[in-house]
Amino acid sequence: MARSEGLPAGSTVRLSPADDFDEVDLVPVQTFWQLVRRRFLQNRMAVIGLVLMAILIASSIVFPIIGGDAWFKTSLVHGPKDPISLTAPMGYDNLGINIFFRLMKALQTSLIIGTFAVLIIAGIGTAVGSISGYAGGLVDNLMMRFVDIVLSLPGFFLVIMLVAFMGSGNVFVIIFAIGLTGWTTAARLVRAEFLRLREADFVQAAKALGASDRRIIVRHMIPSAMAPVVVASTLGIADSVVTEAALSFLTFGLRPPEASLGNMLTGAQDYFYRQPLWVYYPGILLILVVLAASFLGDGLRDALDPRQRIEA
Amino acid sequence: MATYILRRLIQAIPIMIGISIISFLIVNLTPGSPVDKFRSPRVSPETIQNLIRLYGLDQPLIIRFWSWFTHFWTFPFDKLAWGYSFTDGLAVRDKIFQRIPSTLLLMGTSLVVTIVLAIPIGILQAVKQYSWADKLITTFETVGYAMPTFWLGLILKQTFAVQLNWLPLYGQNALGKHDLPDMLMHLILPVTTLAVISVAGWSRYMRASMLEVLRQDYIRTARSKGLNGGQVIRKHALRNALIPIVTLLGLTIPSLLSGAAITETVFSWPGLGWLGVQSVIDRDYPVVLAVVMIGGTMVIIGNLLADIAYAVVDPRIHY
Repeated sequence: MARSEGLPAGSTVRLSPADDFDEVDLVPVQTFWQLVRRRFLQNRMAVIGLVLMAILIASSIVFPIIGGDAWFKTSLVHGPKDPISLTAPMGYDNLGINIFFRLMKALQTSLIIGTFAVLIIAGIGTAVGSISGYAGGLVDNLMMRFVDIVLSLPGFFLVIMLVAFMGSGNVFVIIFAIGLTGWTTAARLVRAEFLRLREADFVQAAKALGASDRRIIVRHMIPSAMAPVVVASTLGIADSVVTEAALSFLTFGLRPPEASLGNMLTGAQDYFYRQPLWVYYPGILLILVVLAASFLGDGLRDALDPRQRIEA
Repeated sequence: MATYILRRLIQAIPIMIGISIISFLIVNLTPGSPVDKFRSPRVSPETIQNLIRLYGLDQPLIIRFWSWFTHFWTFPFDKLAWGYSFTDGLAVRDKIFQRIPSTLLLMGTSLVVTIVLAIPIGILQAVKQYSWADKLITTFETVGYAMPTFWLGLILKQTFAVQLNWLPLYGQNALGKHDLPDMLMHLILPVTTLAVISVAGWSRYMRASMLEVLRQDYIRTARSKGLNGGQVIRKHALRNALIPIVTLLGLTIPSLLSGAAITETVFSWPGLGWLGVQSVIDRDYPVVLAVVMIGGTMVIIGNLLADIAYAVVDPRIHY
């Protein structure tokens, strides 16, 4: 084992000259992550998801910078009747705000809220799931009953309640509310992994060496249990973004002048007849975010599953 | 079976208590108070104090929880078991029961539409796997599943109620009209909204479940016996493929009563979901609590029904 240290990835260790022409040596050894990458890149939908997500993230960073304050700057000169131009590809809204830049700012807000909400979900889920799965027995039982309780509460309604009662329009409250209600699936996934890993040889070895529970959980088990959490988090971005949009649409979330895909839809409702396209812009963007996240998540799940075959 | 049901019901008690505690705490510990909206220079502090006493908000939290929790379950006999609404002073129980028929109508219709459409679509996709029809439907399902409910509702409203002016924009009845055709017209758009999204989900399940069954040995046996294809699908495959759908059905039952908050709000459908959203806006705590409790209870009942139904339709499962 010690001899393999320091060799570049993909190298093989030859134990004796007699092994030199062993056919195993002719196949370059691939690490787990190299295999994951290959499996991921072979999956067309996964690559589409990755590219789409990259485009969405890049636009949400670049365009708000280019636009500057265009996303909230009202104008008396511009209006819905302005012809579409290169600087305003979607025209101007009733207040003379450039719709395209407002949309990009809203996308940025949505993605930020989605990402942080998912981080909270993954954090709480990992903490609860790992303690529950590692401890087992009464602790496990109590924690899982608590998960049952949270799962039985009507999810979206709970988010609305938390946001409305703790201060609507506050980004932190929205992130907190989505995170606090959505961690149960992640917790169950991590717990299932921990139940499996608890009996694994490397955990038993760490235990035999006298490692503390904390060290075993944090250093040995959590890294091995992360794959399902990464997948669930990627898929969870879609849910969080849609939840935020729904909150803002129902006027619990961000309110103008803040830009949100949800509150842009609320505004578009008043122009159903004259400006039918205004409803489509934020909606299609939402669908693209959901599709990108779910293709990416599904692709990661398949790529991280060692049982999936690699086609040569 | 009876002991199993009994055991599950006993297990549900701590969950029910947990739901009550959490929802009660959220309602009572978050900042703000239902009397806040009365605070104005024209209302004297004594009046506010009287209101606080009237609503029982001066009592310690534990006492309030206990009296609320113990009263809550007497609702079949006591009209005031869920208290008075803060907004209009009506009994919360009556207010909620008044909304239940609308929610049942909306959710029941969309459930029926979903089942009627999703099962044949799923079967078709599984039987003709990888055909152009399967691929086309899968694409629609992916997009349909990715569509946010409220956005689909808006698009339908814009297209069919505003631009084309074929269907009513919102509500359950036109003003002053209470006839059935009018209500059916009002029902079309919200039902379509709910059905499109659940058909997208359910038909995927049905397809996967059917594909799983079609791979089984007994299907090959049935085919090799010389039964015609349709008979194999209908008699041998379909019945087994429906088992996971029964579970899905059980998990959908809660929504029959608790409603769909978003769709009902988009279409101003006078159901429980919309009432819930409104009462959150108004901080009408007794109504909010009742809606959450109904939702939680229905989830527990739905899970139990799903498990029971599972054992009924699948003789391999014993409890």
